[in-house]
Amino acid sequence: MSAEKQGVKELIRREYQQGFVTDIQTDTLPPGLDEGVVRAISAKKQEPDWMLDWRLAAFRHWSEQTEPEWASVHHAPIDYQSISYYAAPSARPGPASLDEVDPKLLETYAKLGIPLEEQKALAGVAVDAVFDSVSVATTFKKKLAEAGVIFCAISEAVREHPELVKQYLGSVVSYRDNFFASLNAAVFSDGTFVYVPKGVRCPMELSTYFRINSANTGQFERTLIIAEEGSHVSYLEGCTAPMRDENQLHAAVVELVALDDARIKYSTVQNWYPGDEQGRGGIYNFVTKRGDCRGARSHISWTQVETGSAITWKYPSCILRGDGAVGEFYSVAVTKGRQQADTGTKMIHIGRNTRSTIVSKGISAGHGSNAYRGLVRITPKAENARNHTQCDSLLIGDRSAAHTFPYIEVRNPSAKMEHEATTSKIGDDQLFYCRSRGLSEEDAVSMIVNGFCKEVFKELPMEFAAEAQKLLSVSLEGAVG
Amino acid sequence: MNAMLEPVERYRRLIDAVAPSLPGDDAGWLTSQRARATEHFVRQGFPTRKDEAWRYTSLERVLEQVWAPNAEPGLQPATADIAAFHLAKDAVARLVFINGRCLPGLSSLSGLPAGVQLGSLHSALEQQPERLAPWLGQAAQAGVSSFTALNTALIDDGAWVHIAVGTKLAGPVELLYLTTGPGTVAAHPRNLVVLEDGAEATVVEHYASLDDTACFTNSLTEVLLGAGAQLEHARLQDESAAARHISNVFVQQGHSSHYRAVGVSVGGLWSRSEYHNRMQQTQASCEIDGLYIAGDAQLTDVHLDIGHAVPACTSRERFKGILLGRGRAVFDGRIRVEVDAQKTDAQLANDNLMLSRDAEVDTKPQLEIFADDVKCSHGTTVGQLEPEQLFYLRSRGIGADDARRMLCLGFATEVLQACSVDGFRARVETRLQQRLAAGAVMGNSGE
Repeated sequence: MSAEKQGVKELIRREYQQGFVTDIQTDTLPPGLDEGVVRAISAKKQEPDWMLDWRLAAFRHWSEQTEPEWASVHHAPIDYQSISYYAAPSARPGPASLDEVDPKLLETYAKLGIPLEEQKALAGVAVDAVFDSVSVATTFKKKLAEAGVIFCAISEAVREHPELVKQYLGSVVSYRDNFFASLNAAVFSDGTFVYVPKGVRCPMELSTYFRINSANTGQFERTLIIAEEGSHVSYLEGCTAPMRDENQLHAAVVELVALDDARIKYSTVQNWYPGDEQGRGGIYNFVTKRGDCRGARSHISWTQVETGSAITWKYPSCILRGDGAVGEFYSVAVTKGRQQADTGTKMIHIGRNTRSTIVSKGISAGHGSNAYRGLVRITPKAENARNHTQCDSLLIGDRSAAHTFPYIEVRNPSAKMEHEATTSKIGDDQLFYCRSRGLSEEDAVSMIVNGFCKEVFKELPMEFAAEAQKLLSVSLEGAVG
Repeated sequence: MNAMLEPVERYRRLIDAVAPSLPGDDAGWLTSQRARATEHFVRQGFPTRKDEAWRYTSLERVLEQVWAPNAEPGLQPATADIAAFHLAKDAVARLVFINGRCLPGLSSLSGLPAGVQLGSLHSALEQQPERLAPWLGQAAQAGVSSFTALNTALIDDGAWVHIAVGTKLAGPVELLYLTTGPGTVAAHPRNLVVLEDGAEATVVEHYASLDDTACFTNSLTEVLLGAGAQLEHARLQDESAAARHISNVFVQQGHSSHYRAVGVSVGGLWSRSEYHNRMQQTQASCEIDGLYIAGDAQLTDVHLDIGHAVPACTSRERFKGILLGRGRAVFDGRIRVEVDAQKTDAQLANDNLMLSRDAEVDTKPQLEIFADDVKCSHGTTVGQLEPEQLFYLRSRGIGADDARRMLCLGFATEVLQACSVDGFRARVETRLQQRLAAGAVMGNSGE
């Protein structure tokens, strides 16, 4: 049996070597997905065999699956064979200067108050080597290394820290988890790896933004964060400015592992291209995010502000395995135009005295559609588990839609579980109050909406929170009236 | 799922076998309605747990047995035997059904005011099927679910209530559905309640068993309310511990009509009740309250589907559950607000009291909203009795068991208050007391 397996493996490898030679010259794989593509990606990343095997297993599993349809979103069928699954960063042609960038995008940057150099980076304009953030990043790297924190690209981690990656990769989100997680496992091109050693409090907020070469992490991003016993880390993903991106399908996977007394705070601001007013184009953002509170008293907190993408489909979840573990989910999701969001969380209570909090704020404007979908499961052994869920939806415009689909499963009588959801529009009396004090309708709406989201924004790191507020106002511009 | 296919075939044969004996087979509209339902049922089959609406509820316990439809009862109960089941003292009319068949001898229909038609659906379909044509099957679209289709394919007997324009009933109409052996019995009662404009009535449905035979009830009630009509609809499922029960209530509401329901489920091994409410004209309102008690091995399932299709309607739903032993409860409450149904006010609450270690609650409230000027909310809680409340009572000299029982009763009373039929409330309270006394009321986990 094993001899036979070996033979097959050799055969496959040979086949791939041939494919490899042609591919490396182009640096961009032609559209389509088969085993050869998976092998080519793995080879380009110079991955060890175990990594390739894992990818192939994921690919084979993915091939047998069909795309799920249960989410409350509508889109044309995705042709997985028409997508190119790998493009080296250098292969992407960017605009030569800001003059070539869509003026609408620039207008938004100006409103958000983004410095010129950063605007260039975001818009994909080639930047000088002396660009500030690069040197800033280098300084950061030194500081992190002193603390013993590993913060690098996941492909680098596969090569430099294989023992850690091998131990943890796929341990929270298995490649069999769901259709998009399987796809990601097979073809992920890059992502972030963070390892915080025992007892270390990460000296700064980590952000993809400051990671060198992170500008084009690709559409299938894979993030793995490990917080050892007693360590603390806060990680920021994305940024408030709209990103230039040609990839329509994004299927990222994020895995968090928190051991005893560890604490991970994961904040996301997502503002990808949402498509035009008619809903043409725009990013499909199908993400699997899960945190495993493995250790006692571990703590994982997800905060997300979702304003971009044509379709957002993600459920950052917590598995509360350790006794006394805490899971949190704070979310603001804004949909306008033809945007659709189906987002929420899962809190799986396994350990004793585990606690979870869910605060979800959905704002739908124009033809936007927003759904909260969440699961709170309290298993028989989760003694004294506690959950509080609050889902509020705000509707702006009579063609907007808001849905709430919570699933609550309780199998322990000592559990205390509360779920509350409300849906309404901005009260006429609230608007009147603001307007009678001289605020324009737009300012009044912006103020009320910011108040509505305050509970979530206060969970964001400070600078981020200010930006998120500004982003929200910009997002809702023109949605009222 | 081959195991699921086989029962479908079994039921298809059954439908074919009984079809010639069903009433009203000379009425074309009814025959085609039955045929459509049969076709739909055969095509769709029984749901599995892969179907979202059946995610937490397995049909195994229902499909594992062969149920004989509308079987002749082994014994003919006397009026005296039936008296114990009466709930409303001041009932203006009573219809008694045994194994799904109306027994005129046990029913009392005298003294009904003019403008009220009340009797067995079977005889109405035999005597004047065209009279029912505008209503039967209107609210219960056969496409909704397998059990609705099955019931429609087998339309035979049930209650037929028609209240003319502006007529108000002085007391409740009581409908009693009993099952009895021998053998495994199936009943598919089909009820049609029509209130014309401005009519007012109270209807009590009571499902019970004469013995502990395993039975399967698949009941369906259609309620059609005209403009300004008001119906109070109290339903009690109190069948034997071996019973399987599914009931579907379809309500269609006209302008400014008001539907007030109290649904209580205490009996049965496996029971599921569904309310499908469509507010089709403006200003309609509905209030649905419910209580379910599930003890050892029992599964109780409640599904609400509240549809706001037009502007300015109001709905309130409040369901409470008490779980004992290895009881399991499933709650699924959906409020759907269609495009342009502005000024909708819809609120739903579901509270569950878990009194035992081995109980399980799966609850799933849902809001689907496509209009913006709305006020909608839902809330769900799962927990046990508050230690502070217990302490309060105990510090006043009340024993632990009594204190718990008092608190449970108080919890249930909030829902029962909504019912105006004294006898109904009293019966549920008694049954609750019995259940609490029998199933050991477990204390807090800390004890």
